[in-house]
Amino acid sequence: MHLKVGNKFGDRLILAAVIALAIAWIAPLVWVFALSFKPDEFLAQRTDVMLSPPFTLKNYLNILGTSQVFGWTINSLIVACTQTLATLLLASLAGYGFARTEFRGKNVLFFIVLAGLAVPEQAIIVPLHAMFADLQMHNTYSALVLPRLALPFGVFLMTQYFKAIPKDIEEAAMLDNASRLKIFFRVILPLSIPAQATLGIFTFLNAWNDYLWPLVSASNPEMYTLTLGLASTQTNFAQSEGLGFLMAQAVFASLPVFIVYLFFQKYIVAAVSGKTVR
Amino acid sequence: MTGINLRGIDKRYGSVDVINNFELQINPGEFLVFLGPSGCGKSTLMRMIAGLEEVSAGEIHVAGRDVTHLAPGARDIAMVFQHYALYPHMTVYDNMAFGLRNVGVPRDEIDRRVQEAARMLELVPLLERKPVEMSGGQRQRVAIGRAVVKEPLAFLFDEPLSNLDAALRGRTRIELARLHQRLKTTMIFVTHDQVEAMTLATRIVVMNAGRIEQLGRPMEIYHRPATRFVAGFIGSPAMNFLDVDRIEAPNGFVAVRLPDGTTVQTSVPAAGLPTQSKLTLGVRPEALSIGAAEESDVLVGNAEVVERLGDQTFAHIALRNGELVIVQAGADSTISVGDLVGVRLDHSAVHLFDQSGIAYHAQARSVA
Repeated sequence: MHLKVGNKFGDRLILAAVIALAIAWIAPLVWVFALSFKPDEFLAQRTDVMLSPPFTLKNYLNILGTSQVFGWTINSLIVACTQTLATLLLASLAGYGFARTEFRGKNVLFFIVLAGLAVPEQAIIVPLHAMFADLQMHNTYSALVLPRLALPFGVFLMTQYFKAIPKDIEEAAMLDNASRLKIFFRVILPLSIPAQATLGIFTFLNAWNDYLWPLVSASNPEMYTLTLGLASTQTNFAQSEGLGFLMAQAVFASLPVFIVYLFFQKYIVAAVSGKTVR
Repeated sequence: MTGINLRGIDKRYGSVDVINNFELQINPGEFLVFLGPSGCGKSTLMRMIAGLEEVSAGEIHVAGRDVTHLAPGARDIAMVFQHYALYPHMTVYDNMAFGLRNVGVPRDEIDRRVQEAARMLELVPLLERKPVEMSGGQRQRVAIGRAVVKEPLAFLFDEPLSNLDAALRGRTRIELARLHQRLKTTMIFVTHDQVEAMTLATRIVVMNAGRIEQLGRPMEIYHRPATRFVAGFIGSPAMNFLDVDRIEAPNGFVAVRLPDGTTVQTSVPAAGLPTQSKLTLGVRPEALSIGAAEESDVLVGNAEVVERLGDQTFAHIALRNGELVIVQAGADSTISVGDLVGVRLDHSAVHLFDQSGIAYHAQARSVA
């Protein structure tokens, strides 16, 4: 990118501001990471150290030593992956319907879907709990996954993305004798991979980090997700001790999310920058 | 080879009539061009033939089969889109093979057809590329190849050259003409570019406001336009139009008087012309020539603009009554801006239009 000479000062100012914001954002994360390698006893004295010794892996060994942690990780993986795949399928099908087909009441239905964005989670948590209790579904994977599948944001995102795909590509496929379903799976869906990736990552992160609904629905420790399970091991609510263990838990719980982002970040960049197909 | 028959086609969007009772027989093996300004309904008509738009009324027959309510893929018709409409995530090979796979053509046969089309369109080195890795001209050839491999009953082209630069447009035009000569399949081509229409068409359908203004061979449309709209739409620069009064002429041909009082004896027979006195005289730039202002029977005016194109010169002459006519002068013409000149008319090449725009021509001349 070529910068105009007259704008150099302004550009440097913006760059400095961006760097400052980046440092402010990343500093707590680095701090958490550093503290996770400190002994609890040391952190009871002081927490203003990062790179200086002492170091220990004890906090991580304690996590792995908790007998149920792998079960909780598996639960989280099952819930997050199922929720992600099902959301992608549902949001894509619904988005395609809204973007490309005409049916009576389409606009009203789309408005109702969007209205879902305005309903706070806390407002429906009690009715949801009552409903799943009536159905005797609490402490099941279905209970952890099903309430999260109706994702208005996902439907909206996919609708907008499908609208941006040139219609004549679809018409060419119609002339190529492809059925509506084949057009969707062979032509439209592959073209929407950047949006799918964005929605997939977004959904996976939400599912992985979800705490409130698993807290309400899963009372059996065997059905805990990782966030819920790790929280249940915290006996010291004032957090005046065991800070290293707490930080290690935070890092451990974040690792899968971090790895997912590393693999798919190019799709996020493509989708956020508004790239589409022609 | 197959013909296409459009019977009483209507297209309405809500209360708006876009096409009304459209009738047309497209002959087998013909290269028919729909020509008209934007919004005249030509693309809508093509999309209805393709099955991408429902007809509001009427029937479409392809090779004698009623396809009016068949899905696009069931009509045995291929279409080339203005923006290519290639599948961006597929290679050139897969773009061409996709339609054949959908109807269960055996793999060997698909390969044979794709390779043959690729050879014909010089796409062999590009078969493994994706559309994003190709130029506009190459993409257009792939789009044509995708249509060719289907071996359809008819090809539809929706302004396929409009996205190409001038040089490439000329080359692709010639390739399309060759393709038609080779395949001898019915082709329908939509354009608003008269050069494409004149050079490619067996017959041209000039459309305006959803109806046919004229249907005919290119030179017939050029030399004997049916209406003032056609006369003004075909030809570059456009035909000159002058308001005139009809005067009595004893020889059976119409004479007219121009606003500056000049009398012009035309070769348009008086018989058949309505009796109204107000007419419009139409004359193409090449039927006018520059003479001296002192000559008799000339229109006198000043050269306002002179366009020198190398092989010819166009002089824009402002007549005494303020009207402007464009004259095609020779390449070596010495006319300059501001010159007072006389404009001679070739009386055998003038056209008259009545107040409803219907054309009356000089006695028939042979047209190609």
